[in-house]
Amino acid sequence: MQRTSKPSPAASPAQSSLAQSIPALKSRTFQCMGTVISLALPAGAALDGEGVLEGATAAIERVFAGLDATFSLYRPDSEASRLARGEVTLRDASAAFRARFADATGWRLLTDGFFTPERPDGVLDLSGIIKGYAIDQAAVALESSSIEDWCLNAGGDVLVSGSPAPGTGSPWLAGIVDPQDRRSLLSGFSLGGTGRFTALATSGTAERGNHIWRAGADRARGGRAGLGPLDFRQVSVAAADILTADVLATAVVAGGRRMLDWATDSWDVEVLAVLGSGELLATPGFRA
Amino acid sequence: MRIRAAVSAALASAGILLVGWQSGAHVADTGSTAAAASAAASSGTSSGASSGSGAGGGTAGAAAQAAGTYAGSVVRTRFGTVQVQITVKAGAITDVTALQLTDDDRKSVQISNRAAPLLRAAVIKAQSAQVQTISGATVTSDAYLSSLQAALDAANL
Repeated sequence: MQRTSKPSPAASPAQSSLAQSIPALKSRTFQCMGTVISLALPAGAALDGEGVLEGATAAIERVFAGLDATFSLYRPDSEASRLARGEVTLRDASAAFRARFADATGWRLLTDGFFTPERPDGVLDLSGIIKGYAIDQAAVALESSSIEDWCLNAGGDVLVSGSPAPGTGSPWLAGIVDPQDRRSLLSGFSLGGTGRFTALATSGTAERGNHIWRAGADRARGGRAGLGPLDFRQVSVAAADILTADVLATAVVAGGRRMLDWATDSWDVEVLAVLGSGELLATPGFRA
Repeated sequence: MRIRAAVSAALASAGILLVGWQSGAHVADTGSTAAAASAAASSGTSSGASSGSGAGGGTAGAAAQAAGTYAGSVVRTRFGTVQVQITVKAGAITDVTALQLTDDDRKSVQISNRAAPLLRAAVIKAQSAQVQTISGATVTSDAYLSSLQAALDAANL
């Protein structure tokens, strides 16, 4: 896990003399699904001017925007909103909608209900898997563009391919936010390169998306409100694919220790969990 | 953690083996001579299994026949291949050893991947100047502006 990593040139201008040996990145961002999506590619010959990065970003943005138009409950005209209002039934829903519903239902079974596609009020809410699915489909778009080395970050969920220094096999290094001080990093994890994990997702109580798991968490705590010392404040899951990482991170926040053990027993994942007390639970892959 | 995991895996395998052994004992009760053979689930070496059929009490005879060492069947888990061997004396298991506890590369592996308490100082450390991306609970578009990821993205424009 140890690697000699390089300071980002702009983040530490004092060390700009080191920049020659640093695999510099170029990144672009756009807003969708209520958050910001960042695509980073290694700078250099492969980028061949700005066209590659701009084109790849546009392709990804189309993927995200297309899914958001169908699945967002924040858009009154989306298929999800029409279903929520009862204007159409699931039987009349599009094949794409039913496919994602089937995915979510499968995950609910696999996680003993701790991941659920239903809000407490009974409204079908697939947002818990749509962002992960969008990242997954964006990866398909990048691969079809023959881009091999990239890092995609959608609001804190990360999927990578290849290396930040093409041809070296060195991994991407992802930092994990400290939920007690979001300006600092709690830990880091290597993704891609020659390793088997390419995805890292983090769920927590500190930010948006609480409604996805709140029902499960309340059930797990017997309906008590607030964050107890044994509840999970933040859970990061590394996996070989982003949907598994994203769904399991959400499920463990909802299901607590029981779901955590079930996740590590049943899937090939590494997990770093922060308890309400601030203590950490970690699988061996997170040990320094 | 490693030892506990290995022991629990071994006990689980031993449990499987015991079922086989007891069914072997049951066969002996009914007069078959195959008790020791069926007790050795796969490649067991049944040293103590003499041919003396239980003229006395059926169960006592079966237990005596079952003395020896027996290798359990090879079980594939997602952590690798597991096989254990038990030693039986006078009808009681006296030892359990792991014959195989390896991954596909024949390396010894840790069976359990469970999360355990860890001091903050003991997790992998990363400095924000070293990383290429930031994972955290989903940030809103507004919160993004003050996030570490925004600083990284700005640096890579």
